[in-house]
Amino acid sequence: MSRALLRAGGAGAVLVLGVGLTACGSSAAEEVDITEKTLGAMDSYSVGDQFTATEALSFPVLYSEHPNYPIKDDWLFWQELTERTNVTLEPTIVPMSDYEQKRSLLVGAGDAPVLLPKTYPGQETPFVSSGAVLPVSEYLDLMPNFTDKVERWGLEDNLDTLRQEDGDFYVLPGLHENPWQDYTIAVREDIMAELGLEAPSDWDEFRDVLRAVKAAYPDMYPLSDRFNVPTPGGNFLNIVAMTFGTSAGWGYDDATFDEASGEFEYTGATDEQRDFIEYVASLVDEGLIDPESFTQDDDTAIQKFTTGRSFAISTNAQTVVNDYRPTLDTNVPEAEVGKIPLPAGPAGDVISGATQLENGIMISSAATEREDFVAMMQFIDWLWYSDAGLEFAKWGVEGTTFTKDADGKRVLADDIDFIGLNPGAPKHLQKDFGFSNGVFAYGGPTELLQSTFSDEELEFQEVMADKESLPLAPPYPFSEGEREQATLLETPLKDYTSQMTLQFILGQRDLGEWDAYLAELEGKGASTYIDLVNGAADRFAEANG
Amino acid sequence: MKDSRGYRVFQIVNGVVLLGVVFVTLYPFLNIIAQSFSGETFIRAGQVNLVPLGFNTTTYQLVMGDETFWRSYGNTVLYTVVATAIAMLLTTTYAYVISKKGIRGRGLLIGIAVFTMFFNGGLIPNYVLISSLGLTNSIWAIVLPNAISVFNLLVMKAFFENLPSELEEAAQIDGLSTYGILLRIVLPLSKAVIATMVLFYAVTFWNSWFQAFLYLNQQELFPVTIYLRNLIAGASTASSLGSGGGDLAQVASNVKAVTMVLTVLPILCVYPFIQRYFVSGVMLGSVKG
Amino acid sequence: MSLHEPTTAPDGARATGPEAATSAALAAKARKGDRAPKGRAKLSWRKSIRRDWQLYTLVLLPLAFFVIFRYLPMAGNVIAFRRFQPGGSIFGEEWVGLRYVEMFLNDPTFWNVFGNTLTIGLLSLIFAFPAPIILALLLNEVRTRYFKRFVQTLSYLPHFLSIVIIAGMLLQLLSLEGTVNQIVRAVGAEPVPFMQRPEWFRAVYISSEVWQTVGWGTILYLAALTQIDQSLYEAARIDGANRWKQTLHVTLPGIRPTMITLLILNIGTFMAVGFEKILLIYNPLTYPTADVIATYLYRVGLESNNFSYAAAIGMFEAIIGLTLILSANAISRRVVGTSLW
Repeated sequence: MSRALLRAGGAGAVLVLGVGLTACGSSAAEEVDITEKTLGAMDSYSVGDQFTATEALSFPVLYSEHPNYPIKDDWLFWQELTERTNVTLEPTIVPMSDYEQKRSLLVGAGDAPVLLPKTYPGQETPFVSSGAVLPVSEYLDLMPNFTDKVERWGLEDNLDTLRQEDGDFYVLPGLHENPWQDYTIAVREDIMAELGLEAPSDWDEFRDVLRAVKAAYPDMYPLSDRFNVPTPGGNFLNIVAMTFGTSAGWGYDDATFDEASGEFEYTGATDEQRDFIEYVASLVDEGLIDPESFTQDDDTAIQKFTTGRSFAISTNAQTVVNDYRPTLDTNVPEAEVGKIPLPAGPAGDVISGATQLENGIMISSAATEREDFVAMMQFIDWLWYSDAGLEFAKWGVEGTTFTKDADGKRVLADDIDFIGLNPGAPKHLQKDFGFSNGVFAYGGPTELLQSTFSDEELEFQEVMADKESLPLAPPYPFSEGEREQATLLETPLKDYTSQMTLQFILGQRDLGEWDAYLAELEGKGASTYIDLVNGAADRFAEANG
Repeated sequence: MKDSRGYRVFQIVNGVVLLGVVFVTLYPFLNIIAQSFSGETFIRAGQVNLVPLGFNTTTYQLVMGDETFWRSYGNTVLYTVVATAIAMLLTTTYAYVISKKGIRGRGLLIGIAVFTMFFNGGLIPNYVLISSLGLTNSIWAIVLPNAISVFNLLVMKAFFENLPSELEEAAQIDGLSTYGILLRIVLPLSKAVIATMVLFYAVTFWNSWFQAFLYLNQQELFPVTIYLRNLIAGASTASSLGSGGGDLAQVASNVKAVTMVLTVLPILCVYPFIQRYFVSGVMLGSVKG
Repeated sequence: MSLHEPTTAPDGARATGPEAATSAALAAKARKGDRAPKGRAKLSWRKSIRRDWQLYTLVLLPLAFFVIFRYLPMAGNVIAFRRFQPGGSIFGEEWVGLRYVEMFLNDPTFWNVFGNTLTIGLLSLIFAFPAPIILALLLNEVRTRYFKRFVQTLSYLPHFLSIVIIAGMLLQLLSLEGTVNQIVRAVGAEPVPFMQRPEWFRAVYISSEVWQTVGWGTILYLAALTQIDQSLYEAARIDGANRWKQTLHVTLPGIRPTMITLLILNIGTFMAVGFEKILLIYNPLTYPTADVIATYLYRVGLESNNFSYAAAIGMFEAIIGLTLILSANAISRRVVGTSLW
């Protein structure tokens, strides 16, 4: 048999080599002359203009389908978009659950639609070196609204973090006027009031609150947390670490920039990381955190919170309204729940500065071969970056889905519901009209962002607005060879740091072994990795001033 | 029958153990069914075990009233039927040939099949192939690429090898061609194994979602597994992205439960009827033993 | 092969799935212990084609299937030796020789996950493989036909459950508040956070694996059991053997060919441990024991788009799989006289 098998394998190999597949090679990005690619483009298009293609155009777009609002052909969004811009979008529909995989595959196979939205900054890097995606920074002159907002909102530094080795960036991020932070901790406000507790302003006070709750309700876990998939302690570790001047949870980054020395350090080995771990470990040690906080699934954590078995849980604005309140109302009628402003830490009363960039659009480099390339860039600029386009994508059509009152405040039409604005209304802004769709509506002026916020959320955001945003780390784009080496170091390092962080926090490993842990990180190549980072950062600084 | 006392005790213990096995295997199903009829708040509170709390059928009405769901459902049925038919055709013919001991190149043919159990082409080459054959966004991308399961192939081969060769020889003398023998003699004798294979293939195709995920880009073509997967896995993917933006997928647990029940239901309905063939199917294979 | 996509491996791998079920038929063949009659001298190709051309035509369609859908994409494996850039040529940009092979041979994490894969594979073989045999033997002792049918039918059910649901239930059952820890508390022990402890991961994985596959796995053994010649039991009874002795000396030898066939298939698919399930139930705390080749590939390969590295490891895995099944088959043929082909 084995002989036959070998023969079979041999036959297969010969066949394969003989027939082969058509390789779809794409050459690296070269300067493209786009002066002729003006089909449908407007001669003069600038801030404040409505973009309307001079002839009917259509653009293929990768579409992430949200399970809550499956795509419908008769959405007003499509009709109105075509009416206003003379453009039809041809969506390639991908279920949201596996969107990134499919995008990797399509780009990898050279078969991607031209527009690739919902690309988070950093996700574009693997595609840069092959020239599969467009260096969008070369074409910003076609995008007046984008450049205007970058300039007015002072986002140049943020954009720099996206730059690759060649100084270009390859994704058009969503832009926020101000940094903002949605995620924080939700607490039982009724218990706070009962015990006469104030919302904590820093993490020490936060610990005191938990202690007080523990003392009054010994059977309750003061904090039992969620958001552990795929990163344990995704939110909680992230927000605590951030205010300790380091990173963890879903914000974890292997390299941390040290302002004092002007160099990067390995995050897991910094003193800040140690302080942060000591703090969280003290919470676990005192029994203030449910030891399962960082591994249980969301449903379990929600169960504990909504049956009154825990006092605090991670949250964003929506989860308070959707996940906690309704169930809590049934189980513990006297319960009140609300967000606390993010506590301050040793690094100050801060939030991350990186939140001004949202997920955005990657463009396939095949786009420059399209006759309507210029019109396409203008279209993107209008829909995702102009005030009119942003409002349209979010609120829909004035007079149909919403109206404006005398102060210019937008009011949703009576028969339309959206995030509980008109509970019980027969229609839904997302499901039936296709607006406020995550693929098209994000970012923009703070006024627009907050236009759908509840009063309680507005109050929260007002407090948060006083916080300082942390400085951004300088970019360190890797060369292709460096990246290959770096990714192989990154995964094990990140895994190991995450694992040890949890062990220290949960008391499974003693903090006295910190030095041994540092040595283990060395063994996994932490310095090699950091040298790569610093080398790349220096090179970039030199090349780009 | 005069059993020893010890054996009678064993019988009782055995019965209890088996009942335990039944309970443990059944529990998740009963739990999902109970959830599908329960109110969302009770599920969230983790109170629903075996009995529905806050009994209602509104979620069923909701899901069953969704045309997207039914369209996906129809697609699943279509894909399953066509894919199973093709798979049976290819598997049966190949298995029949490699069951013939005298044929030249048999080892090579078996080798070609077995080799593919271990080596395959990886995601991107497979995608490029399907795409350059022009099969994306068509039923063929779903029903062709996995038409032969080598395990099933080996099973059928073994079954054919064990059929009494006298009948075939007699038919040959009667002047029947190879095709005639296969159609008129072999297949009628193989009903049991065919029924078993049909079920195996059908269950696989019914439950598969990855092919559809890779090669279909239009909602009208999606099978129900894509719909289900997006419901179940969408939530965790979204929340992991962290940066918020008000686009979290939160699907009510009872909607998930209802969709699961509706998806598994057809298989559960069909399989007790085919189930008796499982045993007799594989049994017949050894009749001549 | 490069990436073990988190899904149904079509004919991939586990001999405990439906595919395995029917390998009883294989076993049946094995039982015959038959060897092809060597009497007839080998015909030349020309003669055989003239004689068997109709048979050969039957093979054309399936053969085309194998060539097009299986062997053509295999050319993509060349990226194990060429640098692949996502979006570039699917055959890679330039030859890099054994660079990626050396890379994983020198990667300590790889050897760790390799060890984990072997351990979990071995434990599955030790526990999940015999479980259906035991259940089948128990079922065989049931006298009431309806009860037997009832247990049988229901025990197949977990096979139809999606792995996503199974993982969810596992997390719930094993949480600090879960059923298992309620029992642990009831007997006065300290509750254990099972899902956080690397030392518990294997136990959790294997026991859930048994739960999932035990019922479905009995199909083959039950089929084999019905084939045992009843007169053998008569003879044993006359010799004074009790039920236990009968089981030992008649029943077990009777199902031995089935057991061996399944064992060979299991050994061949040893390395293909349940990727999707592990992905859904592990976490960084349990990486030391839970991370297997497939999950590591997933993190290194698809998440960081290092397809070449993944292809090199995948190739290595396939070669091991092939070697394992060939040796198992050969050993079995030599030692017990039964084999898969």
